[in-house]
Amino acid sequence: MADLCRPRPAAAGLGRRRPLTAPAAAGALVRALTDRFPDLSDSLWTDEDTVEVQADGARNLELLTAVRDDPELRFWWLGDAAAVDYWGPGQDDPHFEVVYHLYSDLHPTWLRIRCRVDRANPHIPTITGLWEGAMFHEREMYDMMGIVFDGNRDLRRIYMSPDYRSFPQRKDFVLPDDAADSPAAGVVPLERPETWELGRFRESATSTSAHPHAANGDQPATDADTSRPR
Amino acid sequence: MTKTDSDIRIPDPIDLDRQEEARLAAALRTGTPGAGEEAAGWPGPAEYAGFEMVGIPDRPPQTEREAEMYSLGEGEMLLNMGPQHPSTHGVMRLVVKIRGEMVTDLDVVLGYLHRGIEKLCENATYTTVLTYVDPMDYMSAMHNEHAPAIAFEKLYGIKAPARAEYIRALVVELNRVFSHGLMMGFLALDMGGLTPILYGFINRDEVVDLLSAISGQRMLFNFFRVGGVNWDVNDEFINRLSRWRVNVAKSIGDNEQLITQNEIFVQRTKGLGVLSGERAISLGVSGPNLRASGVPFDVRKAHPYSIYNELEFDVITQPGGDTYARYLQRVAEIKQSISLIDQIVDKMPHGPVQAQVPGIIRPRPGRAFGAVESPRGFYSVYAISDGEPNPYRFRMRDPSYISLQVMPVLMPGHLIADTMAVMASLDPIMGGVDK
Repeated sequence: MADLCRPRPAAAGLGRRRPLTAPAAAGALVRALTDRFPDLSDSLWTDEDTVEVQADGARNLELLTAVRDDPELRFWWLGDAAAVDYWGPGQDDPHFEVVYHLYSDLHPTWLRIRCRVDRANPHIPTITGLWEGAMFHEREMYDMMGIVFDGNRDLRRIYMSPDYRSFPQRKDFVLPDDAADSPAAGVVPLERPETWELGRFRESATSTSAHPHAANGDQPATDADTSRPR
Repeated sequence: MTKTDSDIRIPDPIDLDRQEEARLAAALRTGTPGAGEEAAGWPGPAEYAGFEMVGIPDRPPQTEREAEMYSLGEGEMLLNMGPQHPSTHGVMRLVVKIRGEMVTDLDVVLGYLHRGIEKLCENATYTTVLTYVDPMDYMSAMHNEHAPAIAFEKLYGIKAPARAEYIRALVVELNRVFSHGLMMGFLALDMGGLTPILYGFINRDEVVDLLSAISGQRMLFNFFRVGGVNWDVNDEFINRLSRWRVNVAKSIGDNEQLITQNEIFVQRTKGLGVLSGERAISLGVSGPNLRASGVPFDVRKAHPYSIYNELEFDVITQPGGDTYARYLQRVAEIKQSISLIDQIVDKMPHGPVQAQVPGIIRPRPGRAFGAVESPRGFYSVYAISDGEPNPYRFRMRDPSYISLQVMPVLMPGHLIADTMAVMASLDPIMGGVDK
């Protein structure tokens, strides 16, 4: 599988900690956060319009409840909840991250909370108790990344069909390999250059069938897949 | 008894007609619709005996909520709408649980239009991503490009020139005018009024011609660039804009006259699908739908991007929170957008429209978040760079996707026929919902 993945050496630099340089606008928020969470003061990071906190996934509920209900913070608007997969060659610490973006009318910056999730055991508490609207975000993250939100009472697939078995937005999802086991098997994987046999298009042009293999009664593409290393 | 080859015969259409006639005659004679089916070779009641009607998902429920939704109480039944229902604004499915004409629960089934644009964008260069996001929410393609442009500029550490920012704000507000104008028409159309959508499309085509004069495309504009816009305003655009500006108040007003005071429309929509402000915030509803519930949240004011802190405007809200308030909110925002367009044209400075940017952009490793106020609400992009020419992660938060969650909240207690009215008042676009 590794031969299909482009090497990404720079991925290791993603988690690099930068010096804390708080712009004046974010100062009040940074101070308030370090007062309330002194153990997280090392993981704070800011740029011109964002204050960022990194924490463990198990703490997401505690952190989000605190920043939402505290009268000095009052981050009442869940802007976005997204998952990121840190995986690939050069990534020595593969893990998921669930990222929340919050807005408060008291502070002029976005608050970004990055929660680390174990890749081998991707579980994180749900936040649908805080914002009902997190439901579709979490269903999408479950569908696309395979992160399980404990306590979510409607964790179904939302985009893919219910019997689909892969998690397509993971970085290690490569279509031909995973799809060979899924109901989508048989789709001609045009993404792979080795399947670009242009001759079959010439043959199928004369036939009335849309399927390229129907013209010569050839094997479907999935059988050819078994010859390649997995 | 086993069937031999001679038993199997290709049914003759005339023979089938005779069977059907015999079946109908038997049904008429005995007064029961099912009579005569056995004679016609159809499975009789005995063969149906062990057969139980299953709910719509043909498998055991996977979650608590799904079990609740798909188990039927006394007198309830499931009704499937879609995925190709004409008024679902795209390809989506609503499973409605009804008792009589009354909706008791609702399930939104998505994914029929899923193209995996996020994954596509992670394999495209930063410049190319701006072309991929166009067909997402195809009613507001300019906004779709705006958010990634903001995020990528933040990642790359450049700013677009002042004139480019003004042109961006101009095209984005024009896009908002036609998107809201069409929503007025679609809302009326989904309740049976045909005329407003025709006026809506007339208005929309004028704006679309304007935008195609500046960008070259009618619908998927591909106008924004990292660090600027593709073209400066030209003579044709200015001519069309001045002509459009003279006529727009009247054409929008004509359409409004057909709907706003229309007694049928008002009686159908007032008090329908009332969403309180607190519930709307909790559900993540944004944009005009949130402001129609009385919450003054507008990204243009909350986190001013582009040049919005130089323009004078107030956040409009409606107290009602019902379908009619959501309609009025759109009408008010059209007028607000027109006043913003006036201000932008007055203040537009001279200068370049594109910053110096290399052909292949390689931002330093980092993260950036860009949010804009699209006609459907809070549209944001979260981009992560790892130093390569393509984003490591590209995440889009589409407002209509999140807004669809209110359908199961709003619909219980309303009639089936009102489902489409509430749905149209939320103004979802399936291209954006399914990404």
